[in-house]
Amino acid sequence: MMDLWAGGPPRGRDGGSSDTSRPEARGHGNHDTVLVVDDDTSILDTVSAILSGEGYDVVSASSGQEALDAVARKQPVVILLDMRMPVMDGWAVARALRSQGITVPIVVMTAAESAKRWADEVGAEGYLAKPFGLDDLLATVERFRGPNEPTN
Amino acid sequence: MNALDLLSAVTQVIYVLIFVSVALRTFRQPTRAHGDMTLFFAAIAFIIVAARIAALISATPGWLTAIEIAVLMALPYILLRLVDDFTNVRSVIKRVAELGLAAGIVATYATGPALPTPVTLYVVLYFFVVSTYCAIAFIRAARRSRGVTRRRMEAISLGSILLGTDILIAGLTPLARPEDRAILQALGQLLGLGSGVANYLGFAPPPILRRAWQEPELRAFLARAASLPRLPTTVDIVRELEHGAASSTGTTARIGLWNDETSTLRFWEDDGSTIDLEPGRHFAGRAFELQRPIFSTNPIRDNPDGAANYRSRSVGAVLAAPITAGERRLGVLTLSAERPPIFAMSDIELAGLLADQAAVILESRALIDHAARVRAREEATRLKEDFLSAAAHDLKTPLTTVVAQAEFLERRAMREPGAPADIAGIRRVVRESKRLAGLVGDLLDATRLEQGGLVGEREPVDLATLAQEVCAHDPSDVSVCQVEASAPVVGVYDRRRIEQLLQNLIENAKKYSPERTPINIKVWQEDGEARLRVEDSGIGIPAADLPRIFERFSRASNVDDRRFHGMGLGLFICRGIVEEHGGRIWVESEVGKGSTFHVGLPIAPGRRLN
Repeated sequence: MMDLWAGGPPRGRDGGSSDTSRPEARGHGNHDTVLVVDDDTSILDTVSAILSGEGYDVVSASSGQEALDAVARKQPVVILLDMRMPVMDGWAVARALRSQGITVPIVVMTAAESAKRWADEVGAEGYLAKPFGLDDLLATVERFRGPNEPTN
Repeated sequence: MNALDLLSAVTQVIYVLIFVSVALRTFRQPTRAHGDMTLFFAAIAFIIVAARIAALISATPGWLTAIEIAVLMALPYILLRLVDDFTNVRSVIKRVAELGLAAGIVATYATGPALPTPVTLYVVLYFFVVSTYCAIAFIRAARRSRGVTRRRMEAISLGSILLGTDILIAGLTPLARPEDRAILQALGQLLGLGSGVANYLGFAPPPILRRAWQEPELRAFLARAASLPRLPTTVDIVRELEHGAASSTGTTARIGLWNDETSTLRFWEDDGSTIDLEPGRHFAGRAFELQRPIFSTNPIRDNPDGAANYRSRSVGAVLAAPITAGERRLGVLTLSAERPPIFAMSDIELAGLLADQAAVILESRALIDHAARVRAREEATRLKEDFLSAAAHDLKTPLTTVVAQAEFLERRAMREPGAPADIAGIRRVVRESKRLAGLVGDLLDATRLEQGGLVGEREPVDLATLAQEVCAHDPSDVSVCQVEASAPVVGVYDRRRIEQLLQNLIENAKKYSPERTPINIKVWQEDGEARLRVEDSGIGIPAADLPRIFERFSRASNVDDRRFHGMGLGLFICRGIVEEHGGRIWVESEVGKGSTFHVGLPIAPGRRLN
């Protein structure tokens, strides 16, 4: 592996992004980190709250640059990536990661009809078509859960 | 042999050659004009040959002189007939000329070979007057015509002037001093030579000269041809084609285009009115129906239906050629002239070529129009797709939160019935539901607007107070909203819609402006009109987008649609609200400096502004 861990331990909170991982979830011993990237703060907060509730370590990023910074600090097991974002969109984030040789699985989150095509375009492992429900979200993220998965 | 003899011999040889050439042409194409041309040059040739014979036998018999004088007097009359062959001569003038000729011949015979001076003067005067009339007639014909015809008429008028002058000099030579006679004779020879050549070239130009005379106009037309399909309207193209065909052939050209809706050939008059012609009628309709050129040297006889028109427009020859591109019958090109000799046989072929050129140009135009329609359709489709994609994004984004968060709240409540309420989660659902409601409202408003029923019940509304209320009700406070109003501006409006108008304009201003930059609103009254201005210092709107900014689904091209979500309905709804109130809305903008939206609303209800 590369020096992806060089950025230090995962940070619970950083400027702008809201990490809503809850202490009791960590207590279950699940250290799978999920990175959620979306410029819509409501979606960001909702997805973070749901995944934290399921015991994931959630890092949220509200822009492409924040997402890259977060990956540099700690590589997540999966990235939930919104495609339409200002300045640096989902395509740019995926391109930047792949060009750095980072092969972390990506799940595309989009409201567009072309969700599957966009997922193929960026070489994503899956997609979540907005609006997605609780079960879709959890089932998708479940696929990327690490081997040290605790029973919840 | 001296120089004068040589000049004389050359002149005479040329005249005889011209006569032979014209006679051969008449033999091939026996028309009245060719006959008159032959007579004209035959008369001159006769005089020359007679003079030669007289010189050979060293004496002029009296009868020969009488015939010579008769032929000489007939010469201007034949010229007058030629004028009539090429343009119109009033019959009274023809009759007077004939009487004058008869009187001259009778006088000549009555007085015998040795003409008394008054008779000589009469002959010279007759000759001069008729030649001058002919010259003037041809000059006028030249000024009316263009291209090759103009050049021909100019050559003939020059020939007529030279001929008249020549005879004048010949008649006056005996009166001159003996030592000057040789000079006058030489001058007469030169004038005669010039006149003969000019007349020949004008009356019966050899094909090579005709082509050379046509070339400048044809060249100019072809040079313009490539740019014609891009003229603003089809009528402009038709006018240019008519002009090109007319100047290239030296005739009057009209183009009729097939109109599928009326099933007629449509011609455009100079005053912009149109004339529709059924296929099969007149020469144009017949050429269109038969799909081949039609040439008539006697249109009044060949098409009695159009006689009145041909008389009033003095049309004496018509050539109609179909304009056809492959299988597509596009229209017809009609060339008309005062008299048949204006046309040459080669003009039938030339008219065909010009019609083909017209077909290519009109067909290119049709293709350009078709491509523009396809582009417009594609653009409309693209706008619709953009709208659908933007609408999908805008609706699904809040919906995602509503669905997922509500399900999560439900699961939590089921799993942990006693846990405290997740206030943050509930607030997200409420906020996103409202956002969704706003978007759905916009979509419904846009639909209502298309049916013209956006504005409802009206009441007196003070725009100044309303603007202040909307401005103050700023939940985000990321920008500074200021209202400038010195007095209430009251009109009768749908309060809710005017409030929506203000909200949309202010939100728009905020959306495209840096944070904490002021949004300046001014409300005032001017010329019986309520005026409103919303000014921002945002990204501005490119000039090219301004005309379409109030259209449905339209967004300025400098708006990054990934950064500024929106369906492009806000300003469309604004315009609808203003226009349904009988007002007007417009925008001034400069990229990078900001935009100012202006609204003018009528103060008195029901009065529409212009």
